[in-house]
Amino acid sequence: MTTAVEGEELTPLELRPDLEQVIKFCGFSWAFPRFFYDVDAARAQGMPGTLVPGPLKLGLLYRALDEWLDGRGWICQVRAAHRRPDITGRPVTIAGRVARVFDEKGRTRADVELAVINEEGQPSVRGFGVVEFND
Amino acid sequence: MTEESLLTDDVRALIGAASEAAPVQVTAVAVRRAGDVYYGRPGAVPPAGEPVPGIAIAGLETGSTRLNIPDLMPNSVLISNEWEFERPLRMGEELMARSRLADISERFGGKFGYSIYIRTDVEFSDSEGALVARASSTLMQYDPRNAREGGGE
Repeated sequence: MTTAVEGEELTPLELRPDLEQVIKFCGFSWAFPRFFYDVDAARAQGMPGTLVPGPLKLGLLYRALDEWLDGRGWICQVRAAHRRPDITGRPVTIAGRVARVFDEKGRTRADVELAVINEEGQPSVRGFGVVEFND
Repeated sequence: MTEESLLTDDVRALIGAASEAAPVQVTAVAVRRAGDVYYGRPGAVPPAGEPVPGIAIAGLETGSTRLNIPDLMPNSVLISNEWEFERPLRMGEELMARSRLADISERFGGKFGYSIYIRTDVEFSDSEGALVARASSTLMQYDPRNAREGGGE
């Protein structure tokens, strides 16, 4: 299938972002807020543990879209609205659903609703993506 | 508890402030490391000029393009962020990056009472000056002592 069908659900992507991944992210983006890797600093902020950085979660939404696309197109946009923190080492699931398939300048595009769901079943991130298919 | 606006004329004048443009390059190291960070395996490096995954953008936001954001309240938290691409990034291409303080706004009566929202954009342009990609983020500044039970988001 070249494009997508409205209502199609992405295969849920199950992940467990850990401290090693967070530290790699900090190095990659050259951003080092202590509460991302220092549990005492995180607790001083009122958190039960170190946090998964929001920009890392944006990239994980990108990954979920990319793995669903599987080479059928490219990602034009990805957006994340952060609702609650995720603690490192805990499982999260990235879910998605094709909300709209449309034509833009002769190319087929799709809007995709995304979410990061924590182990309590609550959305920690509400996301959105736009992809363009190769046709 | 702050109930008066902190957005003075001096603060509002910061809207639109931009960094100097700084060159950045889509390198093989950035592509490999982006794969390692987000996929748990080094990213495949294509030939020069071929598309690379957009996640490489996270490694292009260099310190030289960062803005000095005023600390108007004790704490800040990222509430939203976004990457937009006009076309795929290409292996080896050099882009110019420029940060801009896109907007400052405020809210009264939320979960933390008074809060301030600051949006910054980093724009990446090609050698012709055409926009290639934009990374945006919005921070909320707040005072945790003002947290309200049952307040809004």
